[in-house]
Amino acid sequence: MREVVPVPVPGLDLRQHYGHHQSIAIRAGGLIFCSGMVAINPHTGEREHGTVTSEARRIFENLKLLLESAGSSLDRLVQVHAMIYDRIEYDVLNRLYRQYVPNAPPARTVMSVQIEAGFKVMLDVIAAA
Amino acid sequence: MALEREIIASNHPVLPVSLAVRGGDFVFLSGMTAVDPVAGSVAHGTVAAETRHILTEMARLLEAAGSSLARVVKVNVLIYSMLEYDNMNTVYREFFTVDPPARTVCGAKLIGGHKIEIDCIALR
Repeated sequence: MREVVPVPVPGLDLRQHYGHHQSIAIRAGGLIFCSGMVAINPHTGEREHGTVTSEARRIFENLKLLLESAGSSLDRLVQVHAMIYDRIEYDVLNRLYRQYVPNAPPARTVMSVQIEAGFKVMLDVIAAA
Repeated sequence: MALEREIIASNHPVLPVSLAVRGGDFVFLSGMTAVDPVAGSVAHGTVAAETRHILTEMARLLEAAGSSLARVVKVNVLIYSMLEYDNMNTVYREFFTVDPPARTVCGAKLIGGHKIEIDCIALR
């Protein structure tokens, strides 16, 4: 079965705020597939540009909200694609990253790409439902 | 219990990849670009044209795998410049009308002069 995971708080609805034609997450086959997440204020939908650290923190907090609303959690992540704007900030990302997945971290790929709207970080995850 | 793995479409004209592989309940597609899947000829064009070409072929490939665009759960879009985001998004929304899949879009350097590359995971 394939079902759309409801947006847990209004700010995270990128489709409504920015016209992104995507669901925030889809649940299927025991997994939750999340759209790439950027640093958005979960209440207002405002973009919160900042440092790699501040953006990644905001994304993890939003991800926590989303996954927990769907009955999952950060402990149940299976795969993460971490996108950063410049690989020179790799260590900066890692420092924050390990605070959020301290034990048995998920599989991960990091890449340096161009991210929407001038953001520095985007996380795209698959979690066990 | 081991999940079944099945190659759905192995007919990539040039590369050592399968176009679609089923693993358990999911079908995984290779990154698709604007290339004719049979002739192997390249169909470079605008972002809109390449997006349309890819999603049309993706629909065909998924159907051959017993799935469909409506059963796609996750899409990854690579685009040569994020300035062209809206040109991709406009065509994209025609193909996923209701309950669109989760999606990640990012700007990357693509192989072969393509402007767009799209892969996906779908439920069978």
